[in-house]
Amino acid sequence: MEGLLIKVEKRNDVSTSIYFLTPVLAIFLTLIGGAIIFYVLGFNPIEALKFFFVTPISDLYGLSELLVKATPLCLIAIGLSFCFKSNNWNIGAEGQLIFGGIVGGGVALLFYGHDGFYVLPIIILSGAIGGMIFAMIPAILKTYFNTNEILVSLMLVYVAKLLLDYLVVGPWSNPEGFNFPETRQFSESARMPILFDGLRIHAGIFITLATVFLSWLILYKTYLGFQIKVSGLSLKTAKYAGYKGKTMIIIVFIISGACAGLAGVGEITGPIGQLHRNISPDYGFTAIIVAFLGRLNPVGIIFASLVVALTYLGAETAQIFLQVPKYTGQVFQGMILFFLLGSDYLLFFKIKFLGLRKNEL
Amino acid sequence: MNTKLVISKISKIYPGCIANDKVSLEFGSGKIYALLGENGAGKSTLVKILSGVVKPDEGEVFLNNENIKLNSPLDAKKNNIGMVFQHFNLFETLSVFENLSIDSSKKNEELRLLVNDILKKYNFKIDLDIPVLNLSAGQKQKVEIIRCLIRNPKVLIMDEPTSVLTEQETEDLFVSLKKFSKEGILIIYITHKLKEVLSLCDEVAVMRKGKVVSVSNTKEEKIESLANKMVGENLGTIKKKINNFKNSVEILKISNLNFRSDDPYETNLINLNFSLKKGECLGIAGISGNGQSELFQILSGEIITENTSIMFRQKEISKLNPRERREYLMAFSPEDRISQAAVPELKIYENVALNNFKSSNFFEKGLVNEKKIKEHSKKILSNFSVNTDNVELKSQFLSGGNLQKLIIGRELITSPELLVCFNPTWGLDVGAINYIHETLININEQGKSSIVISTDNDELLRLSDRICVIYKGKLSKIMDASTVTPEKLGVLMGGGSID
Repeated sequence: MEGLLIKVEKRNDVSTSIYFLTPVLAIFLTLIGGAIIFYVLGFNPIEALKFFFVTPISDLYGLSELLVKATPLCLIAIGLSFCFKSNNWNIGAEGQLIFGGIVGGGVALLFYGHDGFYVLPIIILSGAIGGMIFAMIPAILKTYFNTNEILVSLMLVYVAKLLLDYLVVGPWSNPEGFNFPETRQFSESARMPILFDGLRIHAGIFITLATVFLSWLILYKTYLGFQIKVSGLSLKTAKYAGYKGKTMIIIVFIISGACAGLAGVGEITGPIGQLHRNISPDYGFTAIIVAFLGRLNPVGIIFASLVVALTYLGAETAQIFLQVPKYTGQVFQGMILFFLLGSDYLLFFKIKFLGLRKNEL
Repeated sequence: MNTKLVISKISKIYPGCIANDKVSLEFGSGKIYALLGENGAGKSTLVKILSGVVKPDEGEVFLNNENIKLNSPLDAKKNNIGMVFQHFNLFETLSVFENLSIDSSKKNEELRLLVNDILKKYNFKIDLDIPVLNLSAGQKQKVEIIRCLIRNPKVLIMDEPTSVLTEQETEDLFVSLKKFSKEGILIIYITHKLKEVLSLCDEVAVMRKGKVVSVSNTKEEKIESLANKMVGENLGTIKKKINNFKNSVEILKISNLNFRSDDPYETNLINLNFSLKKGECLGIAGISGNGQSELFQILSGEIITENTSIMFRQKEISKLNPRERREYLMAFSPEDRISQAAVPELKIYENVALNNFKSSNFFEKGLVNEKKIKEHSKKILSNFSVNTDNVELKSQFLSGGNLQKLIIGRELITSPELLVCFNPTWGLDVGAINYIHETLININEQGKSSIVISTDNDELLRLSDRICVIYKGKLSKIMDASTVTPEKLGVLMGGGSID
């Protein structure tokens, strides 16, 4: 019997600069992978990539759209970074986004026809609370019943989706809406202010930027951030230091859920303006890629959200100009994650080929 | 059968450190050779080279005048070099026989006959058909030895073999090794336990900083002379003042400590009761896995148990977590210094911040007070002679000894009334061990108490005022350290009883 002997060894000294450069490498490899796919599909790869990554942001409207998409992605990813840094695997941000949207949307409908500066802040706040409550379900089940948060948070996404479905078809559907599965358009007082006439970019971006700053502060300058860091590196140490593990699980889920809820309420009060079945093109799932591409670092996540937002836009242009399905965007997102995980593995481990050897024992 | 093993000018250089510097040694069968040295002296590298795990940069190995190339562990096996590592390579859930048959090319019936012969010949009592997890450490080691014997080894290398054995098991091992040696197997025995070298081995090679500093007959050596060669300096003998604690205040009283675990790999603790006086050191001996780790975690508050009473300075603290217990002036140094007591990826000052008090003001109003933590860390580094003054250094770059000094320093700089430590000098070199021991004796002299849970009896005899043994989750009676001998401890550690 002959076999190729391969040995995997952990590297001890990974330099910080390379650690933050590998995401760039992953993006570069994604472009190459994309070029190959387009070539195989019979397109000129350079042209196709140009349609995908350059055309969408070659005008002001495109840039505004980029920010519109990056706003929720960045916000959710920032929230997720709290969970991921402390070894809590919240996969259900999509559900928390939708539930935040439901609660915020419900309040917006409640204030239908009301004017007043207080309406929007109340809606935003209730959206955040909605996301929080929804995220607390997996957190509480994990801390008190030892359930797996990955499964619970993921399954709750479908619960939220079905609940939204029921509401927009049934009790909350627009009375003048000819049975379309959607609610009324919210009043003007319940809408995010638009920043520039004719563009969709809205005030939600300030919420995101404020959250980024606040998160940086919490993660790097507070006791809570320190505890999150220690728990993420070694749960045994966190226990030995006497950190309240259960409380911390609930706190990080609350932060993460609040961010996702904010993203949801930002979508429905911003570009959408009502509740309907598809208030999110899987932002909650894509944000997981954003969080890792940004190395769970607040500044890194800003850049990562812009890159990933571009794949959404690129997919739309590619659909129009190249007649490829818009799911190409997801292919690109998948490739980014694939190449990132691949280069991370090679970054942290080295593989040694020991040559062919007979297995005689 | 005469075997001659010659190592000629072996060098191995790692980045930043010369592990072996032109090492030349000669071994002949019929004798037991000791390879003695501190951690980091280069013993392990040399042994890894002999067993094919590491390739030397320079130098050659000759077996019976034949130049052999040891490129992999397989090459070592082909050349009949057997190796028993400190950590066993056995499948716990498989039976003894299955473990032996895995890497044997022989037919099962043939192998069983052979193994039975070996068992009879050396008077090993092991049931071949029970899972390895039911064996004691000593028996597991015998399985590893049998695995080597199946191949008719010319050379048998034993790496720190007694670290997990009881006194009785150690004696049995020595008897077997002497038998092997008489039969012509060349035995190389790696250790840093000086007593074992003198009682077992014929010749001793001492290594220091990658070089062989002395080769001599053990008859010409004494413990002191060997120790001096190992560390290259005169070891001051540390003696503890004998104290009388009759009039001291009782500082800790534990009653009715019971712990039942759902995890089969944990040990249940059964009705532990003991108390500790101010300035006293209680040593808890035992072979690993008899409940030490569970006891430590209960003392530190990582595990909270029902119905147990822990009175510390007249306060009931049994329901408090480790941070809260620290507020009452307890301190803890766990066994696992690399991944529990400190986080390798964190900087020194961040690791210092793990021991956080209200009064330390490391985190004021929830914010990190980096300046305060760094000042405090600098103080620890200088007070406890850690070999760096850079608090920004990641702790993974500290050697074991320096890391342990940092941890002990972190725990002690707050002047706790009680320090609980678990194997505080595990795997450290003599210099660091002495430093830690002096420190632990010092705190007793300052009227602070300590509990030392350790698998190293010498350490316990050196440090403790009273000693007891933990065996299968039960505590023996507590004895005055002056009345305890290593032999007595050995009997208790093996589950026996003494009057």
